[in-house]
Amino acid sequence: MTTPEQSQDFSAQGDNVHREWHRFKYPGSLIKYGIFLGVLLFFSYSVHYLNIPLERMLGMFGRLGDVLSNRYYPPDLEYIADIDYLGAIIETIQMAYLGALFGIIISVFLGWFSAYNVSPSRAFIYPVARLFAMSCRSVHEMIWAILFVTILGFGMLPGVLALTMFSIGFAGKLFAEEIESVDMGQVEAIRAMGGSHLQVFVFGVFPQVRVAFTGIAIYTWDVAFRAATVVGFVGAGGMGWYLKRNVQQIETERTAAILITIIALVVISEFISAWARTRVSKAK
Amino acid sequence: MPNSSSVLTVDDIVRVRRKKQAVQFSFYLVLIGLVLWSIQATIINDTDWDRIGSLSDIGNSISHFIGIDFDLIPDLLGPTIETFMIACIGTLLGLIICIPAMWFGALNVTPYKPVTYPIARVAMTLSRSIHEIVWALIFVSAVGLGAFAGILAIAARSLGFIAKMSAEAIENIDDKPVEAIRAMGGSQLQVMLYAILPQVMPVILGIVIFEWEINIRRSSILGLVGAGGLGLVFFRQMNTFNFPGVTTVILAILGLILIGEIASHFARKAMI
Repeated sequence: MTTPEQSQDFSAQGDNVHREWHRFKYPGSLIKYGIFLGVLLFFSYSVHYLNIPLERMLGMFGRLGDVLSNRYYPPDLEYIADIDYLGAIIETIQMAYLGALFGIIISVFLGWFSAYNVSPSRAFIYPVARLFAMSCRSVHEMIWAILFVTILGFGMLPGVLALTMFSIGFAGKLFAEEIESVDMGQVEAIRAMGGSHLQVFVFGVFPQVRVAFTGIAIYTWDVAFRAATVVGFVGAGGMGWYLKRNVQQIETERTAAILITIIALVVISEFISAWARTRVSKAK
Repeated sequence: MPNSSSVLTVDDIVRVRRKKQAVQFSFYLVLIGLVLWSIQATIINDTDWDRIGSLSDIGNSISHFIGIDFDLIPDLLGPTIETFMIACIGTLLGLIICIPAMWFGALNVTPYKPVTYPIARVAMTLSRSIHEIVWALIFVSAVGLGAFAGILAIAARSLGFIAKMSAEAIENIDDKPVEAIRAMGGSQLQVMLYAILPQVMPVILGIVIFEWEINIRRSSILGLVGAGGLGLVFFRQMNTFNFPGVTTVILAILGLILIGEIASHFARKAMI
């Protein structure tokens, strides 16, 4: 690939004439700076539109520190040692586990259907599966949680379903990308032997992506756990409900304690998932 | 271990294999046990199936959502633009505050490893582990309701991902330009500007565009805690039980995200 700058460079060497060197040549440079200016204008207009007090920006960090140290500082650690709260943590873990599991099971099929190279029907199933995965991904997990709470009522089941949708959106895309990058030789071989679509997937594609799928599945569980800590905010079970209650009662010290548990749990889950993923990729 | 393999008998191999299988089997058993336990806790114990009722009741509740509230559409334009702007400025601010985090968090350029490297890593982990709703709550209590809190929340949440990926990119750069500039007597700042930055710039831009796309999705719900945007309209519709309006807002969010996805696709293509 020769970029304009390279060709310029070579010609300057070749005929040994002094030429002024520009990194970007005329039409390209105009477009580039035009886009740059446009983006800058857009940003300054949005600062104006949203009424952002830029002069408060610098003082904000001090204020944030004040708020944290005065109101949130001694976290109420007794509150989080409460047995009900520990139960809520277990519930959160269960929700994340189930939601991720259901999501992964559905995503395996969705990934198969929405991978362009092995999709059973490119004309019909492929776009439908793509659209489904995209809409699962586009709608935020909180919105899913609210919708399911409205339909099914409060409790853990809507939380599990919301996390399922979230995991489908997350894992479905990664699975599909993984399937699209498989070695087509084996797929061709099974197709040439007269294998059905299912056989192609089970014997041609799945053995190739098994390890990658496991890694993605572990990562999905990790991400789903992060989301599970807050879906309770809208009444979908787990520790989010405690968070919401204490935020609304302005019990800032308890809120701080809950935030600390969330951070600690997420860090632990991140370590576990990182450890498990390295184990899986080594076992390959 | 050449010695041990020379005296390896079939029995040994069988034993090792059996042991491996037993470990695997018990691992799967634990996993399945966890699934059953979770199902028992969530779906059987915690769910009041009588209240949910039959499938037709569920279908009935879903059918409330079918339809579009056309009266709402003119009111949606402002919040949609606001959401988009929150995502854009939040990503920009996130990129700005993440420059020191990148610098401290990359092992090969961090100024003083025992102190600055852990600081950056802790900041990244904090930023990624706290959900955007929680960030928004913290900032709403610090700077008050409105779009500003949303922007700060988005920026704080983006920091972790951008900084982590960029630090990895910085760690993987080609060392030769760095050596060259050092050999010419360049200062640390010059090394950074002329040797490291040109190499990682395209990668960082790609990461930022990817994060921007996610941030559009995030900024659409920040209204839940009073941080402006489409989320506020969504929750207002939800609280007034205007279910077709809810569908309309979700469609608006989907449209916005679709625009973002197309824009990021072309932006990434243009960069490559």
